[in-house]
Amino acid sequence: MRKTRITRREFVAGSAAGLATASLGTGPATAQNFGSAELIEAAKKEGRFVYYTANFTEVEQETIKAFNKRFPFVKIEMVRAPGGQLITRVKTEAAAGKLGADVIDHSDRALMQPLEDLFQDYTPPNAGDYRTDILISKKLWPRVTLGWSIGYNTELMKNPPKSWMDLTKPEYGPKLIGQVVAPSGGTTWTRVMFERQVLGEDYHKRQAATQPVLYPSGAPLSDALVRGEVSIAPLLYNIVYVKKRDGAPVEIFFPPEGVPVNFYASGVTKTAANPNAGKLFLNWCLSQEGQAFMIKEQGNLTALKDPPAYPPGWNPKVVKTWAPDFQQYVALQKEWIEEWNKTYGYRQ
Amino acid sequence: MPTDAAIATGAADAPTAAASARSTAGLTWLWSLFLLLVLTFLVIYPVTMLLLGALTNTNPVVDGFGVFDISLANFVTVLANPNVHLALANSLIACAGGTALAVVIGLTFSWVVVRTNTPCKGFIAAASMLPLFVPPLVAAVAWSILASPRTGLLNTMLASLGLDWRFNAYSMGGLIAIFGIYYAPYVYMFTASALRNMDPSLEEAAEVTGATPLRTLLTVTFPLIAPAIVSGMLLSFIVMLGIYGIPAVLGTPGDIPVLTTYIFKLTNWSPPLYSTAASVAIILMVVTGFLVWLQHRVISRRSYTTVAGKSFRPALLNLGPWRYFTLGLAVVYLFVVVVLPTLALIVAAFRKFLFVRNLASLFDERQYSLIHFERLFANPLALRSIVNTMEVGLVTALVGGVLAFAIGYTINRTSLPARGSIDVVSTLPVAIPGLVVGVAYLWAWIGLPGGLYGTIWILALAFIARFMPDTVKALSTSLMQIHRELEEASWICGKGLIGTIRSIVLPLARPGVIAAMTLLFILAIRELGSSLFLYTSNTMVMAVLLLDYYEGGNVGITAAFSLVQTVLLGVLIGIAHLLSRGGARSGDIGRAG
Repeated sequence: MRKTRITRREFVAGSAAGLATASLGTGPATAQNFGSAELIEAAKKEGRFVYYTANFTEVEQETIKAFNKRFPFVKIEMVRAPGGQLITRVKTEAAAGKLGADVIDHSDRALMQPLEDLFQDYTPPNAGDYRTDILISKKLWPRVTLGWSIGYNTELMKNPPKSWMDLTKPEYGPKLIGQVVAPSGGTTWTRVMFERQVLGEDYHKRQAATQPVLYPSGAPLSDALVRGEVSIAPLLYNIVYVKKRDGAPVEIFFPPEGVPVNFYASGVTKTAANPNAGKLFLNWCLSQEGQAFMIKEQGNLTALKDPPAYPPGWNPKVVKTWAPDFQQYVALQKEWIEEWNKTYGYRQ
Repeated sequence: MPTDAAIATGAADAPTAAASARSTAGLTWLWSLFLLLVLTFLVIYPVTMLLLGALTNTNPVVDGFGVFDISLANFVTVLANPNVHLALANSLIACAGGTALAVVIGLTFSWVVVRTNTPCKGFIAAASMLPLFVPPLVAAVAWSILASPRTGLLNTMLASLGLDWRFNAYSMGGLIAIFGIYYAPYVYMFTASALRNMDPSLEEAAEVTGATPLRTLLTVTFPLIAPAIVSGMLLSFIVMLGIYGIPAVLGTPGDIPVLTTYIFKLTNWSPPLYSTAASVAIILMVVTGFLVWLQHRVISRRSYTTVAGKSFRPALLNLGPWRYFTLGLAVVYLFVVVVLPTLALIVAAFRKFLFVRNLASLFDERQYSLIHFERLFANPLALRSIVNTMEVGLVTALVGGVLAFAIGYTINRTSLPARGSIDVVSTLPVAIPGLVVGVAYLWAWIGLPGGLYGTIWILALAFIARFMPDTVKALSTSLMQIHRELEEASWICGKGLIGTIRSIVLPLARPGVIAAMTLLFILAIRELGSSLFLYTSNTMVMAVLLLDYYEGGNVGITAAFSLVQTVLLGVLIGIAHLLSRGGARSGDIGRAG
């Protein structure tokens, strides 16, 4: 676990470089290496690619828009599904020889690793800048790194919780808290591991006692929080942040006990009809400019050794990140999720 | 229509015509065989694969096509699974409750329209049928905006009025209410025509003996049309049982799984449990099949014993001032099923965030923008889904229309061999809910590389199979209206079968054929259930993308897309209506789900 943690020192060390490079974000294309001239020319010829992602639609649409500012000639057709559904679709299509995706971007590294053979060799130009300890394959890269936070509706919650442990208090129930179900995908499984390993073996039992409302994935939960269907929700920072930024009545904070961090796995498929456009997109996303955009505009974290920026609301003196041990992440998943389902009364 | 001249020429060529008729007779077996083969491909093969899928533990995705380890174990495990019991029980409760409500609404309006002197009856009749044109998913999304327990717009209004009572669409009661109000037209269709054709002499006798109108209604009129009520009831029950959109939107937040949502969930887990899904689909098919059988029995055994060949004009009951009350009921119904949901969609589509603090905030114009429409069309998939949907609709309408004409003509107008079998197989899909058609087609085609999976053809073929009974029935009605004499005259004049169809039957049945094709087109473009399993990113259709947006948690974009679809559907139905001039049986619209 200790090995895979993004340490505070790494974040602090990266901050200066980050701020410097972030300012490069709007500079000319030549300032950074997004790929060879041949690649860019080939991407231009292809003009489009199909992109499967487990990330949130509205967040991804912003990323695509920012990418298109730099490379307007690549049209991206996005298919978005929660982690479990997305992997099903990929497997189904691959088995039928009809995999439609050029790029697959998934939140669960454990589900992506067995599919390594579906992907072609791909290395971003700045591969050396990335942490090697979190890579699960040379073909799959952490395009997105997300951290968990707690969000609440400011119109409904006058005495908001301040920590993960607060979510076990009876005053925040019944049905005031929304929870994403554990089997929904890799990011939620990371949080479930964190809760049990860091907050205590009985955390789930105590939290479930507040009778939270269960949601199939983070996207509908974030919407329910904005609408006021629930008042409080543990959510990935990026999905609440964009809503808050646009004026929704929500507030978000990084709880002091720790922020579970999840790394995506993204790659270009072997059967890609438009591999160059896909690679150019990944190159941009994984570049300093792309990562800085996602950190500053969307509240993401990064797997770059030297983070180019902090997400808004991130206080390095207070926030501790937590990343799961990948062996345990794979080994414990089935058993712990079943136990979670039982504790929360979720039927599968 | 053959002209006199043509008849004269034809008569001279009579011996040639007889020879040509003999050679045509030789082709009849080939033709019947061809139709049976097409139907096997469309219906029998996928259903057989579904049955095999239910009896195996192998996974077509992992193990490939044709690897079957046949055993009953999988099916038995599914039957013993308490989650399946719960989903089955919920399905039966929701559909039974919904049907009961549908009977109350449908019967009331059919009685009001046919047997009372309520004003604006044309309007009431239209209002009673209109809900069939609202796609179930759109209706459910609108009602989730209106009546979600904590922040539904209706509940916000109740809170503003200081009332404690709240609507709750995410409950069994909510599910029943939405099913009931949107599927009442089925009961209306059956009972209105039964009431219209009923011999009023028994009612008159009751009145003569001094029974009050209410007593006559309850003890004479309704019992007399009981077969029609039961028929409408069973049909609406069958349709509700196969609907996915409504329980997916309203049942999921309330933790009320039903068979359709459970099947979909099974195929979405990792790894997907296709064989379990197939088993649950079989359960759904068996329940539906039993109800279809029951409906046929009711119609054939007891039906319409009071309906004779004579035409009646039952006396209209003078409701006095109450006639405005009955008109008011229709206005309220229309408001609840169409106006209110449309308003909710408009609010959600144009409002930046759907948090409505109070009534004043609802009318605060700063809260509104076009952002959701901008985001919707910023995704190229939205436009692509519209194009795909139109393509699938056209292919379905053209191929399905031609096939239905061939089947309808063969069954109704010829004495070709194997007509009975063709009839039975083409009617079979009535008993197969859309979602199950989807699973069956998935099983049939997923493991065959280079096959239909991933093309719009698999969607179109599934729709053709699914709606074949509706299309054949609609076409048969118009074929029946063409008198045999006309065809016989053509044969005497020396025209062969094909020539007769081309010069006599097709021109006369054209309005019916166009009506059937437009019906098929509309059914296809709003179909969700069977599309869910068959689309890929390249063949994404509107109904599926709408569900994706809903499940992706953005109510604003979902509402915006719902509005786009509603407007598109309205325009298409308008065009269809103009094309067919009322020839399409609007009643067939609602089976899509």
